[in-house]
Amino acid sequence: MSREEVFEKLNEVFRDVFDDESITVNDTTTADDIEDWDSLEHINLMAAVESEFGIKFSMGQIMTMKNVGEMADIILQKI
Amino acid sequence: MSITSFSFLCFFAAVLFLYYVIPKKAQWSFLLFVSFAFFMTSSEVTESGGWYVIFYPLAAVAAVYFAARLMDRTKEQKKRRAALICAVIFCIGLLCTLKFFRLPLLAPMGISFYTLTLLGYLFDVYYEIGKVQNNYGKLVLFTCYFPTMVSGPILKYGEMEEQLYSGHKLDYRRVTFGMQRMLWGFFKKLVISERMAVIANEIFNNYESYAGFPVWIGAIAFTFQLYTDFAGCMDIVLGISECFGIILPENFNAPFLARNISEYWRRWHITLGTWLKEYLFYPLLRTKFFMQLPKKLKDKVGKKRAKQITTFLAMFLLWFAIGYWHGGTWNFIIGSGLLHWFYIVSGELAEPLFVKMRAFFHIKTESRGFILFQRLRTFLLVVLGLIFFRSSTVSDALRMIGRGFSAFNPQIFVDGTLFSFGLDWIELTIAVVSLLIFEWVTIQQQKGWMRERLEKTNIVVRWIVLYALLFYVILLGQYGPGYSASEFIYQNFKV
Repeated sequence: MSREEVFEKLNEVFRDVFDDESITVNDTTTADDIEDWDSLEHINLMAAVESEFGIKFSMGQIMTMKNVGEMADIILQKI
Repeated sequence: MSITSFSFLCFFAAVLFLYYVIPKKAQWSFLLFVSFAFFMTSSEVTESGGWYVIFYPLAAVAAVYFAARLMDRTKEQKKRRAALICAVIFCIGLLCTLKFFRLPLLAPMGISFYTLTLLGYLFDVYYEIGKVQNNYGKLVLFTCYFPTMVSGPILKYGEMEEQLYSGHKLDYRRVTFGMQRMLWGFFKKLVISERMAVIANEIFNNYESYAGFPVWIGAIAFTFQLYTDFAGCMDIVLGISECFGIILPENFNAPFLARNISEYWRRWHITLGTWLKEYLFYPLLRTKFFMQLPKKLKDKVGKKRAKQITTFLAMFLLWFAIGYWHGGTWNFIIGSGLLHWFYIVSGELAEPLFVKMRAFFHIKTESRGFILFQRLRTFLLVVLGLIFFRSSTVSDALRMIGRGFSAFNPQIFVDGTLFSFGLDWIELTIAVVSLLIFEWVTIQQQKGWMRERLEKTNIVVRWIVLYALLFYVILLGQYGPGYSASEFIYQNFKV
């Protein structure tokens, strides 16, 4: 899967989790850019991304992920 | 030796001097030695004569030290997990036995803080996001670094490592900033908190003879007492550490400016909130049970509700833990735990209704008036919780709240009753003026550190402000034992 395809899928997941069709994520998107992305939603988001790509994040990755770019890198390593 | 005592200030001055005279390489060992000295001479420890309590943190560090090294060396997940579980059980076991089950053994100072600091380090190594420390002494310093032994903040190893062990050159600006911050802490603690305590003690101890507004005045006084005491203590602690060139994490960010309870908890006792989120809440939500719960509930209640119910359930456990950590009895579990859970949950459930109401009344959510309303409401909800926190039992708290609603007596604000709560009109004026100064500075600090702005003013203004604050604290501070003249005289006789 290419990086672009990962981002396309991530967009779908984000729109679904945050219930907002206008969301488009890129490498530098962080929790500050999306209003509802707080510590509670973070775990829901992680679970949704995991089931979309059929992967599993480690606890350390969940805690240290800085932006969506890093998320995409981890996904690309795992699939 | 209490942190606001005169003997502590002398101790600190001597330590600071020596710290910058000795070679940089020796600084961390010196801090370790000083931490032991502080620990063993602290009033809490010496009053009960139990210097041996130093062995409790040393044992906890040893357990974590070996577990972390084992985890670092092996890739076998089973072994790593076993090491983690053993060390966690040992540390939590020690904490609960000493602190919450109130055995005749003595709980060492700061145990609930250093245990979390230490476990955070262990989890980071387990999750492979933190480095392992192979020097036992260095790990002891990280855990028992003396400024944090009083009441936190809870440290993160990754943020401290570089600063704690690398050594620091004397930086005049940093030392002055540290001392200014300590002074500000003394202002909060000695001038405001001690006065608020007089009112709070009077009303909480005799709540049955009060009704209506005085009850709420007592509750609000306690809220400010607790906040200025804890935040003032943090200013002193962070200031001390800053003098050594070691920057500790902030624990408070103007909590009473929060617009809702969730935001309040991101501003109050920040390091505890972060710790619980990362090491308790996230792992909890990642357990099989919580991962599968939304899927099971989905067909019955719909996707959104299923997610909500799961989060609320996990939050219930989180808030229970916060309440329990604060004291282990029901008044704490409710007052700083479950009541806040209830606020957040009911707030979220009622949100659709609030949205409709705001639309109906044409309320602009970003208008000054509405923001003020939200802040006031959040503050009062916190005050209500702190009534439980301060009362001895839950039924006392409930009775006191009942007393608060049993009369409507606004006349007490004008008929002189206000001066009957233990502070005469001079003392009360000092308290209120100090509170106003404090609140004004708090609001100003939202735009940046007062110290940095003060630095840019000319020397005359700067010295006037600093000396005014210094003399304000010296003259108006309510000193506990150790400061008062009578105490000094008494000590001469004791020798």
